[in-house]
This record gives sequence, structure tokens and C-alpha cells, in this order.
Amino acid sequence: MRVAFVGKGGAGKSSLAGTFARVLAATGRRVVALDSDPMPGMAFSLGVAQIDAGLPDDAVEEFEETGRRRYRLREGLTGTGAIERYAVRGPDGVHFFQLGKARGARWDNTRQHFGFQRVLDDLPGEDWSVVGDLPGGTRQPFLTWGRYAETFLVVAEPTPASLLTARRLARLAVTGSAPRVVVVANKVRTPRDAEEVAERTGLLLLGAVPFDPALDEADRLGRAVLDHDPTGPTVTAVRSLVAALSTETRAR
Amino acid sequence: MKIAVVGKGGSGKTTTSAVLARTLARSGYATLALDCDSNPNLGISLGIGEEATERLISVRDAVDAGEEEHASSAEDLVARFGIEGPDGVRLAVVSAIQNPEPGCP
Repeated sequence: MRVAFVGKGGAGKSSLAGTFARVLAATGRRVVALDSDPMPGMAFSLGVAQIDAGLPDDAVEEFEETGRRRYRLREGLTGTGAIERYAVRGPDGVHFFQLGKARGARWDNTRQHFGFQRVLDDLPGEDWSVVGDLPGGTRQPFLTWGRYAETFLVVAEPTPASLLTARRLARLAVTGSAPRVVVVANKVRTPRDAEEVAERTGLLLLGAVPFDPALDEADRLGRAVLDHDPTGPTVTAVRSLVAALSTETRAR
Repeated sequence: MKIAVVGKGGSGKTTTSAVLARTLARSGYATLALDCDSNPNLGISLGIGEEATERLISVRDAVDAGEEEHASSAEDLVARFGIEGPDGVRLAVVSAIQNPEPGCP
């Protein structure tokens, strides 16, 4: 399964994506947890100590094609090879892979960004699951950063700003490469909250995650909620999301 | 004074900006609230409402559509494409992503 989490900043993408990746990996699948958000987040929700786990510059080589500068993986390096060599192994066997953090005021991301895309293009479809955490907001997730995804999970809180962002994302997806887009209601306090998220985004509701003080506690401690409160409301809800998408993926 | 508010997603940038802008406006400063987020939500925090925020056209779109020929200055653009909010704060959206375009960050 190839999924990407999108939504407004602070909606809970990283927390849910990291937990989702580990729950999926624990079922025995090979999972790449893909963090392309320049802000740290997914490493914490995965429980991986290393925040930066990207491709080194020498994994990518530059070449010219019809006068244009292009990038490819170094000769002999495959997508699977790159993941095995450069991704960080996390709990439950998850492979944490990161598109580089901004390291300075003029740090150029181009080489890494293209290398990253080549790795994803080269991963064998049936063997690997990809769970992506994308940057917050509406920064073209559908055509570049998240184009590996078959399903986009829009994480939305029942607040006007979060719902407005979700509607914008739904609109961008329709005019893009038309992937499947569903919504996950987050921080819900009543069943009505989840219904409202579905109604006001116009998206299919895949599931709802309750407001959970244990998640806030885990964030403050810098711990994965899966380790901090493994049977609590957030983890239970994410298990349901994984089950819902797994059933569906098998059916298709 | 010119202030820019930055930080991680969800840490409270928009809320802080809105409260700062309205507080300055209440203290008598002519205040321009510029939403520089490509996913602009500042209108909601300022209190102009969800619908008005969703409709607000961005200054960049106006410039792209050729409006700079008719607008004599940056002030004119802000006046024409901004909106008046509570406490007299003027809100303008700098840039919003409206269409999928490959290569755009």
C-alpha cells in the first residue's frame, strides 16, 4: 500500500503517519516511512533517534539530457539498495527515510529531491509499502512530493482553518493526477465532530481519531505515542485506519 | 514596525499574528496583516470569517492577471485586493496555491 498524509500544519499528520507506518510494519510488511516535511516530526512519532536519514549527495549523479540538467541514482544503486543502505531501521522493522532538512539559508535541495524521487520510482510495487508524511499546507503534494501515493489521507481537525485547508487539498487533488483522497478526522471530541469533518470537506471519512491527552504527553516527552500509550485511543484508532485501508487494498 | 512570525506547523503562528495585528491596530497603528502562507488562513484568526477568507483573492494572482498595469503602487494593490478586518486591520494574501503545477515547492 502507498499512502501519504497531508493536511494543515498541526493537524496531526506526523503523529498519525509514524504510528501508521509502525503498525503496518508490525504486520510483517516491508515499510518505508517517508518523511518529506522539512520540519522534524515523523522521527519522533516513529521513535527513531536520528532525525536526518536522507540520501548522501554522492548517491545521486548529475547528467545532461537534451541540454537539460537531470539527476539519477549512482550507477549500480537501486531503489531497494538505497533504502537498505541509507534508511534508518526503526522499531517494528520500519525503514525511516528522509528528504533532507534545510541545513542553512541557501541550502539546495534539488539533488536530494530528485534522488528521492528516483528511489521511489524504483521500489518494487508489491514488495514495499510506503507511508509518507508530507509538508503542512497545500504545497503541491499531488504532483511532486507525494506522487508515489495511491491514497492520500487528509488529516483534518474540526476547526475552520483545518477544514478550509482540507477543502483546498481536495480541490488540488481533483485537478491533479486524480489519486484517491480520503479524510481522517483528528482530535474529535464527539461523533458529531467526525460527521462535520466529512460534510465540510466533501471527502469520504476513512476514520476518526479521538482527542487524546496522551498524545500531547508523548509529544512533550519526545516519545512515540505507540511506545508511550500502546493501547490508548490514538493507537487504537490508527490500527483501525490500517485495517480499513488493508482490506480495501486487498479487495482492489 | 515590520514583524514576521515564523515557526513549526501548528505551533501558533497564525493565531499569534492575528492577535498582534489586532492589538497594534487597537493601539492606533495603521496595521497591514500580510498572509504569506501558501495555505492562507489568517483571515479566520483575524475574525473575518471562513467564507471571506476562502474568497480572498491573492495579490500575486492579481498581479499575474495583469492588474499591476492598473494598480499604481503596492499600496494600491493592497487597498484593492485586501479586505478590511476587525479593529481596522487591513488583510492581504500574498500568494495562494490554486492549481496543481509540477515543480512548485
